[in-house]
Amino acid sequence: MHSYSTAVSTLHELRKSGERKPDLVVSLGQTLIDGGLTRKLGDEAWSVYEQIFIAALDVGRDDLAKTCLERLEKRFPDSPRVELLLGMKYEAEKKLDQALSIYEKILNEDETNMPVEKRKIALYKTMGHNQEAINALVRFLDVYYNDVEAWLELASLYLRQHLYQQAAFCLEELILLQPQNHFYHLKYAEVLYTSDNIPLALKEYCRVIELCDDYVRALYGIKLCTYKLLNASSSASSSKITGNTDSHTLSVLNELATERLLHVYSHKKCSKVIKDVVREWLQNY
Amino acid sequence: MSQPALAESQALYLDPAIRDWVLFPIVLVMVLVGILRHQITLLLSGSPKKPTSKAIRETKALQRGVILRTYGNNIPPTAFSSRKTILTQAYERGVYLKNPGQTNAPVNPMTDPQGMEIMMEGMKKNMAMIIPQTIIMGWINFFFSGFVLIKLPFPLTVRFKTMLQRGVETPDMDVTWVSSLSWYFLNLFGLRPIYTLLLGEDNSADGMRDMAAMSTMGVTQTGQPQDFNKLFQTEKENLQLTPHEWELDRIENRLLVKYGKRAESIGDVKKEDVTDKEKESVLEGKGKRKKGQKRD
Repeated sequence: MHSYSTAVSTLHELRKSGERKPDLVVSLGQTLIDGGLTRKLGDEAWSVYEQIFIAALDVGRDDLAKTCLERLEKRFPDSPRVELLLGMKYEAEKKLDQALSIYEKILNEDETNMPVEKRKIALYKTMGHNQEAINALVRFLDVYYNDVEAWLELASLYLRQHLYQQAAFCLEELILLQPQNHFYHLKYAEVLYTSDNIPLALKEYCRVIELCDDYVRALYGIKLCTYKLLNASSSASSSKITGNTDSHTLSVLNELATERLLHVYSHKKCSKVIKDVVREWLQNY
Repeated sequence: MSQPALAESQALYLDPAIRDWVLFPIVLVMVLVGILRHQITLLLSGSPKKPTSKAIRETKALQRGVILRTYGNNIPPTAFSSRKTILTQAYERGVYLKNPGQTNAPVNPMTDPQGMEIMMEGMKKNMAMIIPQTIIMGWINFFFSGFVLIKLPFPLTVRFKTMLQRGVETPDMDVTWVSSLSWYFLNLFGLRPIYTLLLGEDNSADGMRDMAAMSTMGVTQTGQPQDFNKLFQTEKENLQLTPHEWELDRIENRLLVKYGKRAESIGDVKKEDVTDKEKESVLEGKGKRKKGQKRD
């Protein structure tokens, strides 16, 4: 009895937080279904079935997925939400065209079905039609401007195609939508660095450190940027390349990054090998 | 001292048949009608209507402007200004409007099918409320007018007479006696907890909430569709007036101060330098804005 209530509450927590953890969900769901305990859940049972179904697909437990889907179809014969699950089953079985036709059918009936639309874009990605996925995402974002997930997905798709300027645009939108999220600033900085906009990348790396103390990736970024800028200013000395930051500030920033990195690696219980590697790298830049 | 004496002298004896055939039936009928009304509204209202994707796009586009205005300082100046230009142009041309053709036509709720539907919905609900209640009131008035049904077990002031003895026009009768019509009203207003017990929260058996909604309708005009063209024009103006002060302008300095690599005072000196520059740029911006207004 105790295990039943904890299983139900664990599943509930996972649903709320959006974590998938398919192994855990499948093992919990298996005991629930085998024990016939789903009947006790009342209306919650259906979302539990949906959750178990998706987890079962994730780990390739087709038998369990089939049981869940059958029960859901029996209860909700015409629901688009269940049809979406059927499409996902087809996707798992690599019947991609059938899945696509199902999604398109649902979207024809209701053009505002957001989960199905997202699933369709994901399907394009699975099929390898990156350009189509990008087009569909652009259309999607034209309607649902404030969907953070979609912007992130679009940015990664652009990066796959090496379209850094477009990816930077997406990341700017993400920063607008969630200005305090240091992860977006970091990603933006990295894209800028890759597209050789070093002064701006440096500023963004600094922003990451400001939002999140001693973020190692950003510290490395500052180190690299300042190194490049200092070298460029000594050779060309044109302010256009270095931006408006004076060389003194740059060298102090460089020192700061070195100091923080050494500090971070001295605190963590890391092996001597890693410490040596870091020290050697720091000397080079 | 006359009050208890009066009450004692008016020791009426009610026929138990009144209790069995009038008092309980009225309560029962009202409860049943409430349940019926709940079911009818469920039938009539059906599933809530979903907005079309164009309508969603319209609202999200407006949000976009607001977000750009509030958090624009977090992105670089070039990124901000390009977004500003694109959005203001889009707002001006009405690219995001549901039907871009009729930008200037005033929105009439009678012609807009969606507004019509919302109004019909309200009508249906009110009808489901008014018709059964009038019938019950007529039934009580016709059969039981002038009946005295119960005696309240506590004393009340004379002011309650109009509330409790509607339909019984006797000036001398004690206030604690309740007439049939008043019993109806007491039920009408007091049955909500019982409906909640029977039908669960958020039921539509009780009509009083709708009545309250109706009385406020004149003020807020629920169901009135918004004129997005007008909203877009205001947003456009707001955007044009928004200056951009980049958060990351002196970020290196801030970082160095944070880690104690540079004293605050040096930063302040630097700040003054920059603020002078900023003032110039703001002035330039104002000049541009003036030019822009002239062009308008």
